[in-house]
Amino acid sequence: MDFDFSDDQEMLRDTVRRWVERGYDFERRRQIVKAGGFSRDAWKEIADLGVCGLQVPEAQGGLGLGAVDAMVVMEELGRGIVVEPYAAVALVATSLLKAGHEAAAAPRLQHIAEGKEIVVLAHEERHSRYRLAHVETTAHGSGHAWRLTGRKIAVPAGAAANAFIVPARVRGAVDDADGVGIFLVSPGQPGVEVQPYPMQDGSSGADLVLNEAAAIELIAPGAAYAALERAVDVGIAALCAEAVGAMDKLVAITVEYMNTRKQFGVAIATFQALRHRAADVKMQLELARSMSYFATLKLGEEPAARRRALAQAKVQLGNSMRFVGQQCIQMHGGIGVTDEYAAGHYFKRLTVIEMTFGDTLFQLGEASRRMQTTAGVFA
Amino acid sequence: MDLAFTPEELAFREQIHAWVRDNLPKDISEKVRNSIHLTRDDMQRWAKILGQKGWLGWGWPKEFGGPGWNAVLKHLFEEELALAGAPRIVPFGPVMVAPVIMAFGTAEQQKRFLPGIASGEVWWSQGYSEPGSGSDLASLKTRAERRGDKYVVNGQKTWTTLGQFGDWIFCLVRTSNEGKPQTGISFLLIDMKSPGITVRPIITLDGAHEVNEVFFDNVEVPADQLIGEENKGWTYAKYLLAHERTNIADVNRAKRELERVKRIAKAEGVWDDVRFRDQIALLEIDIVALEMMVLRVLSAEKSGKQSLDVAGLLKIRGSEIQQRYSELMMLAAGPATVPLRADLVAAGWQPDQNAGEFVAPLAGTYFNMRKTTIYGGSNEVQRNIVAQTVLGS
Repeated sequence: MDFDFSDDQEMLRDTVRRWVERGYDFERRRQIVKAGGFSRDAWKEIADLGVCGLQVPEAQGGLGLGAVDAMVVMEELGRGIVVEPYAAVALVATSLLKAGHEAAAAPRLQHIAEGKEIVVLAHEERHSRYRLAHVETTAHGSGHAWRLTGRKIAVPAGAAANAFIVPARVRGAVDDADGVGIFLVSPGQPGVEVQPYPMQDGSSGADLVLNEAAAIELIAPGAAYAALERAVDVGIAALCAEAVGAMDKLVAITVEYMNTRKQFGVAIATFQALRHRAADVKMQLELARSMSYFATLKLGEEPAARRRALAQAKVQLGNSMRFVGQQCIQMHGGIGVTDEYAAGHYFKRLTVIEMTFGDTLFQLGEASRRMQTTAGVFA
Repeated sequence: MDLAFTPEELAFREQIHAWVRDNLPKDISEKVRNSIHLTRDDMQRWAKILGQKGWLGWGWPKEFGGPGWNAVLKHLFEEELALAGAPRIVPFGPVMVAPVIMAFGTAEQQKRFLPGIASGEVWWSQGYSEPGSGSDLASLKTRAERRGDKYVVNGQKTWTTLGQFGDWIFCLVRTSNEGKPQTGISFLLIDMKSPGITVRPIITLDGAHEVNEVFFDNVEVPADQLIGEENKGWTYAKYLLAHERTNIADVNRAKRELERVKRIAKAEGVWDDVRFRDQIALLEIDIVALEMMVLRVLSAEKSGKQSLDVAGLLKIRGSEIQQRYSELMMLAAGPATVPLRADLVAAGWQPDQNAGEFVAPLAGTYFNMRKTTIYGGSNEVQRNIVAQTVLGS
């Protein structure tokens, strides 16, 4: 039982932190958001840090590193609310590619590690609402020739994506997990339309509209759902870590403001109503950090225990993010609700994180259904 | 970073588990599991069993006869005891006054007082709070005047937990009115059989006699029962508070009580009610998060690599959780907890194993638990302390 980071992990943290602080300041982020929420240059810089292939196997040119390393990177990206889709590509899509047919996956993994390709999971549909088994998009075909029809929403990276990983229904009822297959779709093909838009957090997104679009099978039904659930749990752990980094920074910004801003002739940090709020914010931050560790350290458990732990973590993070985000805006007063000031952008990112991969009530349902007689970190 | 305990730690846990299974009297653990009041004899019996094994001072270093366990082993020991339904060890002797005597007492005081604490023979009480000094403890007024080789103590302490059983009491007393209030306080050890001491019960909301007022009327205390230097008592008291640390979160007991919430909810038919069950799930998440926070502190203490200043957070969260599980248990059983059945809850009563979950004490426990956010520095005072570390001033 040990919560210290290794020397290599501390170096990794320093590397990413330095880039975020020097290379990705708020002004640059603002320009990127204005230009659509994705910068090829920034992506290349992230790739140059060597982290795109963090979890890509060494055989495909990656580093083959683990969950704690990903957590370290995500905390630091969170501090800068980096809009480029690092977790979507390097963690979630990579997890699915590693579980997929090698012939289809290996070149993609190599390109991800080299920073050449943006591959993202496009799973959310207008009526799925976090339920991974609820898939209306259909697939028909066999072998290498598949055709997909349907619409995916809030797809990360949007027009910047080079390939989409798409869950589609091969058979069964609309919520039958066993009937879901996972496919690879490339943009620019007939029947593939990417309708880009900015997301609420400033990143770029899109609807992916498929109409008899050509697709390659990545994971066959049966194995597909388990791989999807695992990839989403990887994504949840990543978002938990990102949220911790974002909250850490947001709290620091807020504390600085409270010590500077004067009303009634004194710094607002002297008012007990605000001091107690700051203490409550610190509480939520530390609970969130604890559960972010928990999420990352439970990723290796067998599926039922993993799913329960990740659901519990996402509930804590969801509650913490909402509280910390809302209260840090409140403690700022008017400046907190302006677009020119950084705090509000942290709040918006935290809000979007809550609504990604299952919101608080959804995951509470999961945690509630999956409760056992005994509980605790080691249960 | 790794969640797993080492093989040595796991073997240690097994050893404790087996020992507790073989040595914890069943009649006592049954009472604990059902929130039935323990008698002095129940508590003393368990303390002496631990004392004989050398584990009543489980946090003590080897040089004072303790096992010398590190933070993780102490935690595992506490966890095994809590999960088995052992009574909370009355902390005033082994956890509170003993470390102060070790750190600041003379060799003679150590020889005189520590063996009785370690064996469980001598029952200690704590004399801190006064009627006019709650959160503002440093304003305390109980006076100790030096006369020759004695102190003469006059004043009143209150909220003295289990003081009715106390053999000795450690007190913060005022020895000077010079300077800041903190600088005129001394730390005295007082024999509760001394002439002039009167203990009067305070009955709490649950009808229980757990706390007391203690009156001092010209009580003579030999000067060699002063700890350290005169007027330095505040420093020793702060040392004592720093010594509680993770223990104050009481997460191990919370894990045991969460299982009980689930048993009661199932027995009362609300386990399948989504609205109720989600509340249990939220409590479970709170407890896991608290446990993770405790483990982070233990890891930091063990490795010494990072310092984690979260003692205030642990107190706030731990106490809120204690209140929440007592509340959910009561609400699960609902109307069955409304009749005031003091006869059923009374000390010495043994629950019928075949009667299902024992719900008579649940409302009383809920009322009793309101104390947890008030004592040990109220949660509002804790928030002041946390805010100071967050805001930097």
